[in-house]
Amino acid sequence: MANITKKVSWSSRADESAAAGEATPLLNGSEQPQHSRQLSGGGSIFQIGRLSTVDLEEEITSEEDSLRGRPKEIPHNEKLLSLKYESLDYDNIENQLFLEEERRMSYMGFRCLEISRWVVCGLIGFLTGLIACFIDIVVEQLAGIKYQVVKENIEKFTEAGGLSISLILWAVLNFTFVMVGAIIVAFFEPIAAGSGIPQIKCYLNGVKIPRVVRLKTLVIKVCGVICSVVGGLAVGKEGPMIHSGAVVAAGVSQGRSTSLKRDFKIFEYFRRDTEKRDFVSAGAAAGVSAAFGAPVGGVLFSLEEGASFWNQMLTWRIFFASMISTFTLNFFLSIYHANPGDLSNPGLINFGRFEGDSVTYNLYEIPLFIAMGAIGGLLGALFNVLNYWLTIFRIRYVHRPCLQVMEAMLVAAVTATVSFTMIYFSNDCQPLGPESTEEYPLQLFCADGEYNSMATAFFNTPERSVRSLFHNQPGTYNPLTLGLFTLTYFFLACWTYGLAVSAGVFIPSLLIGAAWGRLCGILLASITSTSSVGAQHSSAIWADPGKYALIGAAAQLGGIVRMTLSLTVIMVEATGNVTYGLPIMLVLMTAKIVGDYFEEGLYDIHIKLQSVPFLHWEAPATSHWLTAREVMSSPVTCLNRIEKVGTIVDILSNTSTNHNGFPVVVQVPGSDEPAKLCGLILRSQLIVLLKHKVFVELARSRLTRRKLQLKDFRDAYPRFPPIQSIHVSQDERECMMELTEFMNPTPYTVPQETSLPRVFKLFRALGLRHLVVVDDENRVVGLVTRKDLARYHLGKHGLEELQLAQT
Amino acid sequence: MSLYKNCLFLLFLLIDINAFVSGDVNFIASEATSQLKPTLSSSAAGVVNSAVFKPFVDSVFSLSLLSSFPEDLEISDYCVELLNVFGQRYVDYVKCLVPAARPVRVCQNCFSTYGKLVDTYQNISSDQMGPGNVSCRDSLLRSDRLMLVYQLYSNLEDLWLKSDCDHCVTEKFQSLTNATLYFMTTLNQTITCFDKYKEGNHTELCKNCKNTYRGLNELYGKMEKNHTLCIDIEDAMNMTRKLWSKNFNCSFPREETVAVIAVSSFMLFLPIIFYLSSFLHSEQKKRKLIHRE
Repeated sequence: MANITKKVSWSSRADESAAAGEATPLLNGSEQPQHSRQLSGGGSIFQIGRLSTVDLEEEITSEEDSLRGRPKEIPHNEKLLSLKYESLDYDNIENQLFLEEERRMSYMGFRCLEISRWVVCGLIGFLTGLIACFIDIVVEQLAGIKYQVVKENIEKFTEAGGLSISLILWAVLNFTFVMVGAIIVAFFEPIAAGSGIPQIKCYLNGVKIPRVVRLKTLVIKVCGVICSVVGGLAVGKEGPMIHSGAVVAAGVSQGRSTSLKRDFKIFEYFRRDTEKRDFVSAGAAAGVSAAFGAPVGGVLFSLEEGASFWNQMLTWRIFFASMISTFTLNFFLSIYHANPGDLSNPGLINFGRFEGDSVTYNLYEIPLFIAMGAIGGLLGALFNVLNYWLTIFRIRYVHRPCLQVMEAMLVAAVTATVSFTMIYFSNDCQPLGPESTEEYPLQLFCADGEYNSMATAFFNTPERSVRSLFHNQPGTYNPLTLGLFTLTYFFLACWTYGLAVSAGVFIPSLLIGAAWGRLCGILLASITSTSSVGAQHSSAIWADPGKYALIGAAAQLGGIVRMTLSLTVIMVEATGNVTYGLPIMLVLMTAKIVGDYFEEGLYDIHIKLQSVPFLHWEAPATSHWLTAREVMSSPVTCLNRIEKVGTIVDILSNTSTNHNGFPVVVQVPGSDEPAKLCGLILRSQLIVLLKHKVFVELARSRLTRRKLQLKDFRDAYPRFPPIQSIHVSQDERECMMELTEFMNPTPYTVPQETSLPRVFKLFRALGLRHLVVVDDENRVVGLVTRKDLARYHLGKHGLEELQLAQT
Repeated sequence: MSLYKNCLFLLFLLIDINAFVSGDVNFIASEATSQLKPTLSSSAAGVVNSAVFKPFVDSVFSLSLLSSFPEDLEISDYCVELLNVFGQRYVDYVKCLVPAARPVRVCQNCFSTYGKLVDTYQNISSDQMGPGNVSCRDSLLRSDRLMLVYQLYSNLEDLWLKSDCDHCVTEKFQSLTNATLYFMTTLNQTITCFDKYKEGNHTELCKNCKNTYRGLNELYGKMEKNHTLCIDIEDAMNMTRKLWSKNFNCSFPREETVAVIAVSSFMLFLPIIFYLSSFLHSEQKKRKLIHRE
């Protein structure tokens, strides 16, 4: 492990890559030397790299491979780091341009900037709320139509015979909706699959996931989630809301859309990673707050996921965005529900009100809650393990888009079939209560005036099922129904998560938990009433299964996603009842402790499986003996302060070394001393410089030439053109480039003996992208990047090293 | 400081002595704080042994005092008359209600008595002055904490509202609405039909009464949508449905189990094929490792 060096160059093919032309994206993935070629051009699971030049270079690749022997290939597993992810440039580049701009800016200018930050946050909240509202209304309408059609059909065929036709109708309807949703996701924007929370977690952690905050992703996410919820899959629309909020934030704060090619010429100052990421955290918070009606929970979510770079002012702004988003959703939903001005319907999911006797709990119930938390942790771990294996299988074998669509369609059809069979064979009939909230009661073989109890759980959107499990009177469900429902829904939800449809896992988890929680409540009530040990008042408390449904839901959700503080607050806020704060917290803690003993949280599993270089809270516990010298990459490609253009172009176009940051060194003229570090320059900056031809010779010849400003860098952000699209003539190659003005003159450096945890802390706390390792004479020895740190993790056999791989 | 404390102590002592001297029953009560106030007031005002502090003592006396209130505090004859009428009608209504409890007939049977009760109550509660310029509203309805008349009436009013009888009765409590009457006729037809075929095999009944029963069901559904249901109709319908489904067992039988099982097992079979085939035929995704030796 010691002295990790890399074989850098086994090809120098600047001319070939230049010939690749426009279609080549900027493969500025990592700083490590890498082979950015793919055999047979087989698209990765996420199809990110499919459009790249690599396809054009196939032949060359195979030639080289035959020279060198094929690179080792292994099946996909969790112990890989992908090369396609790169870091965000969270660290501010304090170059001379920046200082100049700051000097020019008046006091008023800074005030305006501050105000526009607030305006942007307000806009983020507003738009996120609107999107949530749109999703909610469309889902309700479409699902309403679907269930109405199926219900009428079932009623018709119950009498006339031919219920299998209703079954087929239901399956086909589900099938169609899900097919649409899966096609748009699988073929147009695979990154929009799933809940999006893992991706946003990565983004807030400082990893740039390609295409995750684009407008196209947002559109597909919104349409996809509508399709999958209406398609009757075991999914929720809450997780995707968080992703949507993040995309909105990333879009609004930039004041333009690269996809639509519209530039509104506003908020130009915010066009860099630092500002954008702050706004994305606000967007994620707004998304949470719109989804659950939990503004504080949203803020805490952002805090929990991106806590390393944080300040109070930002927290306050994020809270503002959250509040606005809840308010907007509330307001527009109140108009939709025809009582404008009634602001008491926060959130997409509404747990309804817990009132009266049901809110009380007693000391002797605390152990029960804890036990339920443990069950939730166990079931959650089981869920995660099953989903882990399923996901690995999917990545390995179900990676072609058409296969993914087929799989999603099959799941939809099977979900409908299973639900129908359950309802068909259920004997649990309940009278229609006076305040029955069932929208689509199915009678089937029940007596007139009664409805099938299984149907309230299955024949409904999941949100409604959760609410009826929380609030229906005791006795609405019999234990067998609940048990069967829990069992089937558990496997359905586990099977569904990870399909190529955009859908969240919050609601299914809540639903599973609510079902077995209610079951617990019913069993407890029956035990106490038969044994008659509990006095009358205690059985009265235990007789309310809704409370246990809530606790079970919290336990199950906590067991699956393993969020801590934010989840507690989200649950408390969604319940709208502070009294339950303590039980919910206890339950979530227990669920997390028990669950973590067996398996990680679902989102962490998926982050791992996507091979993202994710930095956790802390460095692995037993890594203090590792020093920066062992961790870093070396040798490092350095640039001189005044560098020949040809050299720079060659370095940048070398596809085998996709370095992104280049230490700038200065050689003391006339001496043999090795070059010393004087700054750091990024690939993106170099590209902008090349594009504007900021060459020393040209500057001399044309004195009137406009000086390059920060604005020019911002205009190119975030999609810097690939080096291949920049034409540099043979004459220009001989020119020189002066980097002093543009480089970051004060990059962070560490001595070689720094331990891994120290380096890790610097990275995590400052959001670094490059950390230069220098010797005692300030000479560059190596460069530490995110991937160098993320590859160490604590496995079963002590410290393990992840391998870099092409995905 | 110590001087102040001493003074305070003395004051307490004084109060205590005072309490013993005045020798009121109340002062033997346990709590020192509650003692303090009456003591002070009694020692200061002396004469007014305030009723506020010991109402239970007063009430013993006031029983005998009731008959001797001055003329203007007494309620007028007119109001007494009204009260009597109210009582009479109240009793009538309740007498009507109780036998109509099961099966529920509270709207059909008692709407007229309820109407009368409402009339009387409106008389009592109206602003209009009766003979002799007296309004009974204040004296009857809210001159005491109990507000008996109001409570009695509001209980029945709640009952009426809960039963939704307004939906079945015309305004001013004249008669039942036409819709209700029509429903009752249809209901009677159905019941007659039931009675006719009750003996013997129920399949006969299920077949022959199906049309009338379904007509009734549809009518009920229509009324449900128009919100013209009241408790009488709901109850009657409930009973009929119970008769139909439970007693006569005319619900739909579960007949096509085989077909449903066949279709669903076919559906459940598909994913197995899918996964097997993709496992066997799809090329496994491999990752190329980047060496970092």
